[in-house]
Amino acid sequence: MFGNNRLPAFHPGLTQSRIRDTTTGSGLWFPGLRSPPLPSESDPANDQLPLPITPEDLYDTPMAPFNPYTYIRCPCSELNPYTKRTPDVTAQGLSRAAQDDDDHTFDPRAARSNYSLYPLEYLSFCEDCHQIRCPRCVAEEIVCYYCPNCLFEVPSSNIRSEGSRCTRSCFQCPICIGPLAVNHVETPPDPNQLLSPDHASSSHSGSYVLSCSYCNWSSTEIGIKFDKPNSIHMQLAKLRNGGETRLTAKERKERRKEQASQGGGGGSSTGQGEEDLDTLLDMETQFANLKSFYQNQLSDANGTGKVGGDPSAALGNLGFDAPASLSRIMSLYTGSSSLHDKKSKSRPGTMREALAPSEGLQLASLDESSAITALQDFESTTGLDAYSSTASTTQLQSQAPYLGASPLHGLTRFTSSLRPIPYLLRTKRSKRCPQCRHIISKPESKVTTTRFRIRLIAGNYIPTITIKQLIIPGLTPPPMPNLPPDTIEPLKPAQFVLTFKNPIFESVRVTLATPATTPGRFPAKVTILCPQFEIDSNTDVWEEALKDNNATSSSSQAQNLSSSTGPEGSGPGGRKRAGTLRPGTAGGASLAGEELGPEVGKVWERGRNWTSIVIEVIPASLVQTAKRDGRGPIKEDEDVLEIPMFVRIEWEAEAPEDEIMPGLSSTKGGNKDGGKEKRELAYWCVLGLGRVARTL
Amino acid sequence: MSSATPSPVPSSAHGHHKRHSILPAVSQSGPKPPVQFSSSCTIADSALLTGPHTIIVSTESVIHPRARLESLGGRVTVGRRCIVHERACLGAADLQGRYHKGSPDKEGRSMGAVTLGDYVTVEVGAQVESGGTVIGEGTTVGIGTRVGAGAVVGKHCTLTANSTVAAGEVIPDYTVIYSNGLRRIDRRGVSELKNKAQARQIDVLRRMIPSNPGKFQ
Repeated sequence: MFGNNRLPAFHPGLTQSRIRDTTTGSGLWFPGLRSPPLPSESDPANDQLPLPITPEDLYDTPMAPFNPYTYIRCPCSELNPYTKRTPDVTAQGLSRAAQDDDDHTFDPRAARSNYSLYPLEYLSFCEDCHQIRCPRCVAEEIVCYYCPNCLFEVPSSNIRSEGSRCTRSCFQCPICIGPLAVNHVETPPDPNQLLSPDHASSSHSGSYVLSCSYCNWSSTEIGIKFDKPNSIHMQLAKLRNGGETRLTAKERKERRKEQASQGGGGGSSTGQGEEDLDTLLDMETQFANLKSFYQNQLSDANGTGKVGGDPSAALGNLGFDAPASLSRIMSLYTGSSSLHDKKSKSRPGTMREALAPSEGLQLASLDESSAITALQDFESTTGLDAYSSTASTTQLQSQAPYLGASPLHGLTRFTSSLRPIPYLLRTKRSKRCPQCRHIISKPESKVTTTRFRIRLIAGNYIPTITIKQLIIPGLTPPPMPNLPPDTIEPLKPAQFVLTFKNPIFESVRVTLATPATTPGRFPAKVTILCPQFEIDSNTDVWEEALKDNNATSSSSQAQNLSSSTGPEGSGPGGRKRAGTLRPGTAGGASLAGEELGPEVGKVWERGRNWTSIVIEVIPASLVQTAKRDGRGPIKEDEDVLEIPMFVRIEWEAEAPEDEIMPGLSSTKGGNKDGGKEKRELAYWCVLGLGRVARTL
Repeated sequence: MSSATPSPVPSSAHGHHKRHSILPAVSQSGPKPPVQFSSSCTIADSALLTGPHTIIVSTESVIHPRARLESLGGRVTVGRRCIVHERACLGAADLQGRYHKGSPDKEGRSMGAVTLGDYVTVEVGAQVESGGTVIGEGTTVGIGTRVGAGAVVGKHCTLTANSTVAAGEVIPDYTVIYSNGLRRIDRRGVSELKNKAQARQIDVLRRMIPSNPGKFQ
């Protein structure tokens, strides 16, 4: 309820506060679980009313702890998908396009932004286009299908013939989706069976059951037992609930013949005879009956039309998809629609509708008294709420389609008739860049390995940004009392340290830009104290350590020893504060420099492959703005302070051999030292700094 | 190696015994409760029995090490062939720290704090609050489950891990409580098989857990 719910729904599982925790504290999903009706906080009618807001009623709901976040906007949202782009789009071209957009700054709260912002971990990077790629813009290809339970790979030809479910013995519990196990049952222990008169007949019907070890469901509840412990899927497909075997197509045909011979003699046009109209047919039988009925009708119509009849219209072996029957249907329809047409081959009125179950007629059973008594019985016999005996929507949705048993009307409503769910197959997918068609990510095709052959993730190319509120004991004013923890006070400057960590082996120049005030309803003033800086390359840790040691070893060994005891010790790979880097300060002065706090134009801290800078924000007062602008109360997550920031990074990379062309020397400025190429990348990102307190 | 390094923990009276845990040693706080043990029960040396009332452990039941049986709210009765796992607590205080006393039944007899029927399994870390709480035959109280004071759980129920039974609730026989409190009826009809399996498990456990009933008597 309290998470900042931004990311599109297809994110499989998100970090921290992104997940909207609806019903369960555990975060698990169970199909049987029903969520209580949520309080209508965001009722649209409610939002329209400018209600008087008091600070007291704003803290009635507990707030989830807030974790600062950085989301990066994928450049795919800038491109117009309808203009065809030439493949030689370079990073420069894209960043220019981005800068053309600069007149309207990126608004993280715009509705469209919902679909373009991603945490760094979700992004890939195309090495050929030098561009960020998000899950939304990459093209996916299926590498293999496999069952998540038995981890067997399923060839795609089987998918076509057998569907997208595991056809071995992998099943999920229809009640709680837990995995089902095949268990052997010893015959005597069921007292209910002993009481039942047909005990003798049931004893031979199999001795294996599927059972769930979590909710104790067992396939005996739907009257199904198996003869063999293997190939359960095939056995289950033949069994209806209650243990009867499903009719095969052959049996069905024979049965129909029998019925026809019994009711034969009478006019076939009124074939129902003494048949009970309430006979329940399963879906398959109904379809087969309807099909044969209409085929009969068609052949009758055609047969009487053409004298002598068509010898090829032998009934059963012509499907609807056969070309002959198709042409017959077509001629029938065109004939009847244009009655005045040349031939009166088809006569209206020769077709009739099905009149009996043997012809596929099923009356809708509107009498629900049996369902109601079943509910009442459940309550009286078990002492549980009758509601719990009905299947939830998710339970019904996760059921695999089964044509064998369920009648078309009044599909199963009770948990007592749910069938085991064969596991849905999963896929491994590779990803391609949408523009250059190069592969960005390709998993190993073997199911059991989790390795990747190719995986170009953005975290290896662009700097990570981490956010921390800056609190200097002497300088930062103490927070207001009774302020909830981790909230930002409105109308007061708050400082945050942004740490940029460089993942690549070249040093990187970073240029940052933000709008002076954040867009949206509650504008905050933003100042980046140091918008241009460098991050050193991500060199080997040991190399750095040794280098550092050599430089300082003889001269300041003693000093090193003493300083390494402090928290800011500039040991190997350690950090250096901006204050200590200033020329002319030495020894004791550095301590005073630290207490000065952040300075404009100065890097705050710096390390082996990271640099941190300070950003200052003055948030607007939420309560006052909400009162003034008359746009209703503060909506969910509107109190989160989000800052759009434009990041441009430049670095010099080894130019690929095949790309060095004489005509392009202008783009490669410093080309002397071994084919170095200037690269740049620019993108928008959003910094979620914290929640603004709803005081004032 | 171990003999060479001086141990910071002073070795106990039994030379072979060595504590590996950094937690303070659990002490037998309070009075030693009167006990009635069956001669065939298995009760580990490090089980914790406290309280002023009687603790009864019946035939062939197994009390794991560090299981707690507290009789502060009244008598604690463990039926036949029960298993009480580690850190499980019978007769626990409620979440406010109160030990409830069971209300007397119709004939005026005290219900005791906790009564386990036969073939009950109380799994690791489960809490059965005191106050006339009854757990019926063949019921499994799952890991970390809390059964409130005065609840009456029927026979052959399954309380899955981390579920809760409210105080005073009456759970019908064969109920399965799963998935944050959903309930259904177990229709497998395997209760006798489960009891057999329990007996076999107890056979194994009796060989694994050294029993020391004398310590508590």
